[in-house]
Amino acid sequence: MNVSMKRIVPHLVLIPYVIIVLYPLFFIINASFKNNSEISLNPWGLPQSFSFDNYTNALSNSFIGTYFFNSLYISVISTVATILLATAISYAVTRMKFPRLSKLVYSLLLLSLLIPPASLLIPLYLMIKDMGMYNTPLALLIPYTAFGIPLTVFVVAAFLKSIPQELEEAGIMDGLSTYGILGRIIIPLTLPTLVTVFILNFISHWNEYIMANLFLSSDKLRTLPVAVVAFADQYNMNYGALTAAITISIVPVIIIYAVLQKKIIEGVTAGGVKG
Amino acid sequence: MNKVHKNYTAYFLFVVPAMLLYITFYLVPLFNSLQYSVTSWNGITQPVYNGLENFQKALDDEKFWIAFKNNIYFVAFSVFIQVPIIVLVSVLVSGVRRFLDFYKVTVFLPSVLSTAAIAIIWQFIYAPDAGLINQLLREIGLESWAKIWLGDKATATLSILITNAWQWTGFYIVLVLAAIFAISKEMLEAGEMDGAVGWRKAWYLTIPLIRPVIIVVMLLSITGAMKALDIVLIMTKGGPFGSSEVMATYMYKQAYQLGDFGYANAIAIIITIFTAILAGIFHLISKRTKEVEH
Repeated sequence: MNVSMKRIVPHLVLIPYVIIVLYPLFFIINASFKNNSEISLNPWGLPQSFSFDNYTNALSNSFIGTYFFNSLYISVISTVATILLATAISYAVTRMKFPRLSKLVYSLLLLSLLIPPASLLIPLYLMIKDMGMYNTPLALLIPYTAFGIPLTVFVVAAFLKSIPQELEEAGIMDGLSTYGILGRIIIPLTLPTLVTVFILNFISHWNEYIMANLFLSSDKLRTLPVAVVAFADQYNMNYGALTAAITISIVPVIIIYAVLQKKIIEGVTAGGVKG
Repeated sequence: MNKVHKNYTAYFLFVVPAMLLYITFYLVPLFNSLQYSVTSWNGITQPVYNGLENFQKALDDEKFWIAFKNNIYFVAFSVFIQVPIIVLVSVLVSGVRRFLDFYKVTVFLPSVLSTAAIAIIWQFIYAPDAGLINQLLREIGLESWAKIWLGDKATATLSILITNAWQWTGFYIVLVLAAIFAISKEMLEAGEMDGAVGWRKAWYLTIPLIRPVIIVVMLLSITGAMKALDIVLIMTKGGPFGSSEVMATYMYKQAYQLGDFGYANAIAIIITIFTAILAGIFHLISKRTKEVEH
């Protein structure tokens, strides 16, 4: 095989793979600008006349703005809470001198990898009801925060272990307290990792469906994934409105991904390869 | 040094809040689930202890076994079909010079989208009339192959598996790619000197060197397969006739539709134990093969 052939062969496999990934998304977005009959009669072509009717339909028939806002603040608050708690505990178990306790804490956290979240769903649901959090934003804020902790600790702790002891010693010489060292030395150094775990947590909370569907019953409190599924059930046969609603829910994520893809991919590989 | 790093108050302050949340939302529910699993309980009145009756019920429950079998399909599909594809594509991408970033970024894209949106997108793709797949079949003259993909007992589970693979394959490819790029240049050059090029290089050099990450990927996809719930719930609701049910959806239905919380929790415990056993077996096998190699 000559050199140019060898360069082409991988692309012969990769190009079809990329088409399989991208075409379904294009198909949906393309359909969202067509009317129902055009979706069936002209499935492949571009829309004959770009029409935003499906979007006005989708928007006027639901509180998409409210759902978007619900998803946003629940994801942001629980992500920030996860990161504060996880950074504190990561610092304690990797840098402070209580090796036995820290080992215990860390192995307890590792245990979470073996527990499928699905099998915790029912007791969690009953607990949320008992605590009076059912159908309030807390029903998602608190579990999301808790469920983000283990993975965030694994990623942050792995990074903290790589910080040289001398930096902290210099801080102690300058008279910094434990909190001063955490705030002035550790956190600034860890900032890039924290940004990464922020994005990872945010995406997973933003996308969560089961708990959001189960722990909230009021229509106004819904998050986007729950709303999209409800919309699909309601507009079963109205493909136009449905594809528009799907597009509204995926395009923001695609844009965020396009902007931050480097950080996101770095974060996943940092967590996965070390874990 | 000691005063700062052996500060009890600070340690307590840093560890306790996160651990409290962790224990409350992982360990307490697990314990509760264990407790409820040996009771007969409708979620409202007092639970009544009934020993292992719920577990016995699962053993005799034909629908539970269909769900169990589907979980096995999920695991087998991940390990024997998805993982080889992941390794193959990763090796191919790693050898590409132009468009490397383009491939990496594109294949990863589905794993940042919500499972809810993906499930609905694919419902649309599998739709009987307007759906992409049937339209494509009609176009190329294979009209007779067109099906109600998600409404047919024979194809429902497979259709979900394909959607699930579409969502997650790229995620794992990126993990494996990172491991390939982490292999030292010297190691690869030494191998090339010994005549390892092309497929020989991949088979004798690259793949053995990225074994640890392949094991991680397998383990993640096994536990991922056991987690499958939302995708099945949205795409088929376990139907038609329970044919695409997995243990988690069956558990979900027992609790929320049938109000049998005792049985549902027993299923939850079976899921946890089964996952632990799979992970354990897997751990043993990967350790054993490592010993043989050395």
